Amino acid sequence: MDRRHLLRIITGVALALAACSDRPWHGTRLDPALAAPPLTVAGALADPATRFVLVEAKESLVVLYFGYTHCPDVCPTMLSDWARAKRALGADTLGVRFVLVSVDPPRDTPELVAAYAQQFDPAFVGLAPSEIELAVLMRDWGIAAYPEGDTRTNDYSVAHPAQSFVVDRQGRLVLMIPSGVRGEELAEDLRRLR
Amino acid sequence: MKSWPKIFVACVSTLGVAACDRPAAWLTDAQATPPLTVTEAWARAADSGATTAVYLTVDNAAMVSDTLSAVTSDVAEDVGLHISMAQNGTMHMAQLRALPVPAQDSVPLRPMGAHLMLTRLRRPLVEDDTVVVTLTFVSGTTIEVRAGVRKP
Repeated sequence: MDRRHLLRIITGVALALAACSDRPWHGTRLDPALAAPPLTVAGALADPATRFVLVEAKESLVVLYFGYTHCPDVCPTMLSDWARAKRALGADTLGVRFVLVSVDPPRDTPELVAAYAQQFDPAFVGLAPSEIELAVLMRDWGIAAYPEGDTRTNDYSVAHPAQSFVVDRQGRLVLMIPSGVRGEELAEDLRRLR
Repeated sequence: MKSWPKIFVACVSTLGVAACDRPAAWLTDAQATPPLTVTEAWARAADSGATTAVYLTVDNAAMVSDTLSAVTSDVAEDVGLHISMAQNGTMHMAQLRALPVPAQDSVPLRPMGAHLMLTRLRRPLVEDDTVVVTLTFVSGTTIEVRAGVRKP
C-alpha cells in the first residue's frame, strides 16, 4: 500500500478516536473525581430491604438525587428522565442503581419514598433518612435542603439540590447531572462510565 | 387654522374606512375562535393524597393582554399556580399570584417552570384518566380544561 495513503488512514483513525474521547459530557464531569462522601440510610430498622449504604453498592454505578415526594414538578421530571435513561440503556442498565434520597423527613416515610420511586421504575430505590441521618448527609455532601413555607400546615415545599450525582464503581463522585439533561443524554453519559 | 378641521375629518374618515374595511378581526374572531384558548394540557399521574402538577399552554389571540388569576379543580384539596426555579444549584418553588398572558402571545406551563400544583389529591390519577381544571382570567373569561393524565 502507498505509504502516504496509509498515513492518511492512520491520521483519520487517530482524529476519529480523539473526537470520541473529546465528545462533551451532558453532565458536569468532576475531574479529578472525588471520593464520594459516605451515605448511609437505615430506613425502617426492622426491614433490611430499606437500608442503604453507598459503599456496599460497589460493582454498580449509583445515580443519586436528593428530593421529596410532595415535589410536583422538578423531582418527577428528574425521575422520569432517569426512567427514560434506564429504558435507553436497555440491558446495559444492569449495574446502574438509581436512588432517590428524601430531604423531607417530617412527611416522607420509607414506605412512601420507596413507592414513589417505584412509580417511575420498579427498580428505583427510594430512601427516607431520619432527621439526624439527613443532617449528616447534608454536611458530608455539602448540600442544602430546607423547608420553604408553612411547616405547621404541611403546605410547604423543600428547597433541594438541582442536580443528580453519579458515583462510579470505585466509589468516586464522577459526574453531576443538572436538571434539564434528557434521559437519552443521561444514558449516553452512563454508558461511557460503565 | 382653517386646515385643522379638514385634517380632522380626513383622519376620522380614514379610521372609519379602516375599521369598516377590516371589521375588527378581534370582534368577528371572537365568535369563531375565542381569544383565549388552552392547548397541550396534561397532568402527571400520582397517588391519592399526593401532590402533582398540570401543564398546559395558554394562547391569547386577542389584541389585549389578560391575566390568569385563579385555578380550581375538584380533584385536589388545593390548587395553585407555582414556578420552579434554580438558584445557586438549589431548586426552589414559589407561588405565583397571577400569570400575565400578553396580547397575541402564548404562555407555556411546562416541566421545570410554571405549573398548576394540585395538592392532596382526592383520588389517584392514573394514566389515560382526565382531570378537569378551571382557569379564571382577570377579564372574567373562564376556561374549563380537560387534561389527560400521563405516566409520572
